[in-house]
Amino acid sequence: MLLLFLGPFVLLTVLFFVMPAIITAFLALTNLDAAFQGTYVGLDNFRGLFADPLLPRVLLNTVVYVFFTLICFNTGLGLVLALLTTHIPDRVGTVFRAIWLLPRLTPMVVYGLLWLWFVDPTKYGMLNTARSWFGLAPLDLISASPWLVIVLVNGFIGASLGMVILTSAIKSVPEDYVRAARVDGASSLAIVRHVILPLIRWPLTFVLVNQTLALLTSYEYILLVTGGGPFYDTTVYALYVFRRAIQNGDYGYGAALAFILVVVGAVAALSYWRLLNFERMISAPKIEAD
Amino acid sequence: MEQVTIPAGQLRRWRTPQEVAALAQRARRREVLTQTMIYVLLTLISLPIVVPYLWLVAAAFSERVSYGIIPSGFTLNNWRFLWVANLGFVSGTAGRLPNIWQVVANSLVLAVGTAAIVVVVSTLAGYFISRHGFSRRAGFLKGALALQAFPGITLLVALFILLRSLNLLNSMLGVILVIAALHLPFALFVMKGFFDGIPWDIEMSALIDGASRLRAWYTVLLPQARNGIAAVAMFSFLWGWTDYIYVLTFVLRRSSWTMALYLNSVIGEYRFADYGLMAAVGVFYMIPSLLFFLFTQRQLLQITLGGTKA
Amino acid sequence: MGRIVLDKLGKRFGVVEALRDLNLEIADAELIALLGPSGCGKTTTLLMLAGIYKPTSGQILFDGVAVNDLPPQDRHIGMVFQSYALYPHMTVFDNIAFPLRLLRRPVDEIQRRVLEAAALVQIEALMDRRPSQLSGGQQQRTALARALVKQPTLLLLDEPLSNLDAKLRVLMRAEIKHLQRRLGITTILVTHDQVEAMTMADRIAVLRDGLLQQVGTPDDLYYRPANTFVAGFIGSPPMNFIPAQVETTDGQVAFAAEGMRLPAAEWTAPHLARRRGGPVLVGVRPEDIRLSLVPGESAVQGRILDVEPLGRELVVAVTVGRQVVVAIAEHGFAGKPDQPVGMFVPPERIYVFDPTTESAIV
Ligand SMILES: Nc1ncnc2c1ncn2[C@@H]1O[C@H](COP(=O)(O)OP(=O)(O)O)[C@@H](O)[C@H]1O
Ligand SMILES: [Mg+2]
Repeated sequence: MLLLFLGPFVLLTVLFFVMPAIITAFLALTNLDAAFQGTYVGLDNFRGLFADPLLPRVLLNTVVYVFFTLICFNTGLGLVLALLTTHIPDRVGTVFRAIWLLPRLTPMVVYGLLWLWFVDPTKYGMLNTARSWFGLAPLDLISASPWLVIVLVNGFIGASLGMVILTSAIKSVPEDYVRAARVDGASSLAIVRHVILPLIRWPLTFVLVNQTLALLTSYEYILLVTGGGPFYDTTVYALYVFRRAIQNGDYGYGAALAFILVVVGAVAALSYWRLLNFERMISAPKIEAD
Repeated sequence: MEQVTIPAGQLRRWRTPQEVAALAQRARRREVLTQTMIYVLLTLISLPIVVPYLWLVAAAFSERVSYGIIPSGFTLNNWRFLWVANLGFVSGTAGRLPNIWQVVANSLVLAVGTAAIVVVVSTLAGYFISRHGFSRRAGFLKGALALQAFPGITLLVALFILLRSLNLLNSMLGVILVIAALHLPFALFVMKGFFDGIPWDIEMSALIDGASRLRAWYTVLLPQARNGIAAVAMFSFLWGWTDYIYVLTFVLRRSSWTMALYLNSVIGEYRFADYGLMAAVGVFYMIPSLLFFLFTQRQLLQITLGGTKA
Repeated sequence: MGRIVLDKLGKRFGVVEALRDLNLEIADAELIALLGPSGCGKTTTLLMLAGIYKPTSGQILFDGVAVNDLPPQDRHIGMVFQSYALYPHMTVFDNIAFPLRLLRRPVDEIQRRVLEAAALVQIEALMDRRPSQLSGGQQQRTALARALVKQPTLLLLDEPLSNLDAKLRVLMRAEIKHLQRRLGITTILVTHDQVEAMTMADRIAVLRDGLLQQVGTPDDLYYRPANTFVAGFIGSPPMNFIPAQVETTDGQVAFAAEGMRLPAAEWTAPHLARRRGGPVLVGVRPEDIRLSLVPGESAVQGRILDVEPLGRELVVAVTVGRQVVVAIAEHGFAGKPDQPVGMFVPPERIYVFDPTTESAIV
C-alpha cells in the first residue's frame, strides 16, 4: 500500500530532485565544459568565485533587485492590495485581485513580449511613444535604468502571491475583533494598524521569507526582457548561473554557483519548518487501521 | 452602598440632535472619501496591468499600431501564422518556423502529460501522507517541504547532464518528467490540504460499513477531494503550457518546439517590425490561460498554501 | 442619563428579516435582558445599538435623540462580545487601555483608569498576561473591564456567560448584576438562557424569529405569559400544553381532555363563556402539579412513565391517555414506572391559550 501510493512520488523526486542535487555537488568539483570534457579540480571552482571579476557586479544587482522587489512589490504592494481589496465590496475586490493574478497566469514569453514592447528603445515602443507626446527623445530604458527594469518586471508578477495569502489571512481575522475595535472608537486606519496587522504577522513573515527565496532564484523574466544585458548590467545571481552554465557551457563552474543557492535554499527550508506550523501539519492520522 | 470608583453615565451626556447630525455627516463623508480613495488608488495601480493586456488584444486585430500604441484598422492578417506555412518576412529565416499546429500539438502533449503525472502522483501521495501513519511520516513530510526550497535553477545544470545520460534530451518525455517532478512537492501539499479537510467521520463510517481503506479511498475520499484534483490538474496543465526555461534548455530540435519557443522566435524575427503578428501569436498562446482565468478566478483566489496561518 | 427607545426597529439581510418592528423602552440604569433562542435576532439588535449595523427601518433613540447614523465611536457604548474579542496580541493592560489610547488620553490618566477598571472586576494581578494565558472567567472579566473603562452610558453584553462552566456562571451572574447596580449603567443583556435572564434582569424582552413576544418583569413573564412561546420558554422543565375543550356543567366551567377533566378557576368563567364547546390549549407548569399515590384521591388518573431524580426533587413523566404530562415531585416521592398515579392541579394555576393564535386567553 505504502509502495503503491508513495512509490511514484518518491521515484520522481529522487530521480529529478535528489539525484540532480548530488550531481550538482559533484559537478562543482570538476571543470566540465561545453564539450563535456572535464576532470576533478577539487575546490578550484569555489576559489574561482573570489577571483570572478563579474561576480561583485552580479551580487550587487541581486541585492538591489531582491531588496526593492521584495519590499516595494512582493510584500509591500501585496499587502496594500490585500488591505485595499478587503475594504471594498468583495465582488469588486475580487475583480481587482483577479487583475493582479493575470500576469502570473500569462505565459512568460507573452509577458516578456509586453515588456519588450514597453521598453523598445526605438520610437515605436510604448514608453517612447508616451515620451514623444511630451517632446522627449526616445530612451533606452534598459541601459538607462537597468535596476528599475528588473525590479518592475518581477514586481508586477510577484505582488500577487503576497496578495492572495494576505487576503485570506485578513479575511480570517474574526469579525468580532474588528467590531470590538470599532466600538472602542477605532477608525479604519487604527483597526488596520492595531488589530489586523498584528494578527496577520505570521502570514506576513511567511510571505517575506518565501518571496525572498523566490526572488533569489528567479531569472526567467529578466532573461526574456533584457537577456541580462547590456553586458551584465541586469544579470542577477540566478541568471548568472544560467548564463555561465547553460549559455556558456561552463558546467563545472555553473554547478559551483548553483551549489551556493542550494545552501541558501536549505537555510530557507529550516525556516519553513518553523513558519508553516509543522507540528500541526504532521498531526497523527485518526484511523490506525490499514 | 459603597463608594463607586467609576461613576459611569453621569459624567457625559449623550449628544444633542445637532451634534448627532454633524457627527453622522462627518462619518458619512469620511466613509465616502475613504471608499473613493481606495477605488482611485486601486484603479491607478492596476492600470499598468490592464492597459498592456487590452493593447495586446487590440493590436492582434489591427492593421497598424500607430505611434506604437494606438491600434487602428481591423484585420485578421496578423493571424496568418495559423494558415500560411511560410511567413516570409524580413530575414527569410522565419520561413523555417515549424508549422503552428505541430507546435500546438507539442505544447498540448507537454501540458497534458505534465498534468496527468502531477495529478496521479500527488493524489496518491497526498492521500497517503494525509491519512496514514507510517514510521518515517514526519521525516517524509520534512523532506518534501525541504524540496520546495530547491528551486529549478539550482538543479538545471545537473538535470541537463542527467537527461543527457538518460538519452531524454530533445524528447518531450524528458521535459514532462522534469516539470512534473519539480512541481510535485507543491502539488503534494495542496492535495494533502484537501484530504486533511475531509472529516474523519466520513472515512470511519465507511470502514465501519465494511469498506477496506482502499475502497474507502476511491469511493468516499476521492469524490470529496475532486475540487483539489481539479485545481491541481489546471495548475499543472498551465505549468506545462507556459513553461519556457525547460523547453529552451532541454529541447533543441525545431520539430519539438512548443508555443513558448515559437513565440520567442517570432519575437526574435519580427521585433521592431510587426507587432501585430507578435500580438496575435501572443493572444493565441494565452487562450488556455485566459479561459482558466475567466472560469476559475473565484476558486483560484481561495486556494492558498496549506497551513500558512500559523 | 441613559434612556433608550427602540422605535419600530427592523433589520433585514437580503431576504432574511432578522428583526421586525421592535418597540422597546429602556429606562435609565435599568438592566434589561433580550431573551430568545439562537438566531432570533438578539445579536443583530445589539450590533445596531452599537452602531455596527445600520437599521433598515425604524429608529434608535438615546435620550430622545435619533442616533441611527451615529458612528460607533461617538455612542459612549461599552460592549462585551460573546467571543470576548480580546485582542490576542495585547496584554490584559493593553486590552483595557485600548479605548483610552484611541481617545489619546494622557499616559497617567490611562494608567489610573485602567487600574480602576481592573479593580472593579478583580483582575489587578493579571495585567501583564496575554488573553491566551487567562481562564474563561478571567477573560470575561477583562472584556468587562475593557467595556467599562470608557465610562460608557450604555453597556451591551452579548451572551456574556455562555462560554463559562456552570459553576462559574452562577458566580458571574451575581457579580455582573451587583456591578451593574453599583455603577448604575443602563445595561442590555443578551441571552438564550431563561434562568440567566430571570435571575439578573429588571425586565425581560422575549424575542422569537425577529419578533418581540412580550416585555415584562420576570414575574410578569412567569405568571402572565402572553403566549405559548413565552410560557414554554420560561420555566424548567417547560410548561405542559394539553389540548382540551371548554365544558360547562351546572354553571361550572371545566377543561376536558383525553382522560382528564380540570375545573377552571371561578374568575375565569366569564372569559371562557364564549368558547364553550370550543378547543383551547391548557398550560400547566410541572411545579404546580401535585402527585398522589393514594388511589381514588384525585380526579385525574395516570400512569408513571419515568422518574428522573434531580436530588432535591424528582421530575416525573406521567401518561394520561395518549398525553405525557411532566410534573415535579418532592424528594421522597415513592412512585415507580408503570405505577398508577393521581394528579391534582390547583384551578388558579391553570393557563389557557387559544390553539390557533397561541396567545393567552385569561
Ligand atoms: N451579517 C449577516 N448577514 C446575513 N444574515 C445575518 C447576518 N447577521 C445575522 N444574520 C441572520 O439574522 C438572524 C439573526 O441572527 P442573530 O442576531 O445573530 O441571532 P442571535 O444572536 O439571536 O442568535 C439569523 O437568521 C442570522 O442568520
Ligand atoms: Mg448571537
